Amino acid sequence: MGTLTEEETKSDLRADRPWVTVVWDDPVNLMSYVAHIFILLFGFSKEKATELMMKVHVEGKAVVSSGTREEMELDVQRLHEYGLWATLQRDDEI
Amino acid sequence: MSGFLRSGDEKIAITFASQEAHVLMNLTEQIIELLSEEDGGTHLSKEHTVDDLMRMVGISTNDAPPIDPVLLRLLPNAYKDVEKAAEFRRYTEHGLREKKRANAVLIREALLPQDEDWDNDSPLDVAHITCVIEGDDVMAWLSAMNDIRLALAVRLDIGGERDAKPQHEKYELMVESDPMKAVYAVYSWIGWLQESLLKLL
Repeated sequence: MGTLTEEETKSDLRADRPWVTVVWDDPVNLMSYVAHIFILLFGFSKEKATELMMKVHVEGKAVVSSGTREEMELDVQRLHEYGLWATLQRDDEI
Repeated sequence: MSGFLRSGDEKIAITFASQEAHVLMNLTEQIIELLSEEDGGTHLSKEHTVDDLMRMVGISTNDAPPIDPVLLRLLPNAYKDVEKAAEFRRYTEHGLREKKRANAVLIREALLPQDEDWDNDSPLDVAHITCVIEGDDVMAWLSAMNDIRLALAVRLDIGGERDAKPQHEKYELMVESDPMKAVYAVYSWIGWLQESLLKLL
């Protein structure tokens, strides 16, 4: 929903997928729940979803998707709907 | 105490003892109340005047993060950058609240008395309520139970620390008479319910 400035629009054109969605570790959300939400929202296989969930758990965060700013805002919104702790940022800010 | 069970190919059922149903209903009502927009003082901003027209299209004039740590956990910032987070919140927070409220309302309504079997005066071990869930409602139940756990966890200070383990141990070692131990028991129970539903999916 963010309004891109001219500068941001220009830089968006430079790379195909300049924004990322990051999911942060949270000791409340059940591991099986987080993996299930990844499958539901991103269509990951069970293995891929479990791997990403473990990455969040062990490393404290993981990138779960990348794309345009609008796409990432939608992903963050959907993750928030399910109670996951997610933010979006430029991929070079990781 | 029983968890979610398959009921035919498409449906899932759960039977609550009346005491369990009351606890769950009470929690969903708290979530519904917490998420209602009539919360004036829960935002940092002193401007509470919400333009009705903007609200109709789902845009809030209030873009400050909630003061209440429970609300902030349910409606978190989407950006680390304060300004970007505020702009995102202005366009999306209303929708997020409505979605979470609708999920909680769905559980609450499923727990409401459906027939004469329900009687508040009957002994606790007699009255039961069975909820049958299907389709999209399954995710609504999972999500609403998750919101309840997130809310309870903030009150229990679980997740305040990077390592949550000592918190869990703290509650397990607490004396039975401590009211926070009961809150922790409910938190664990909802987690167990969530797990039992996830196992069926």
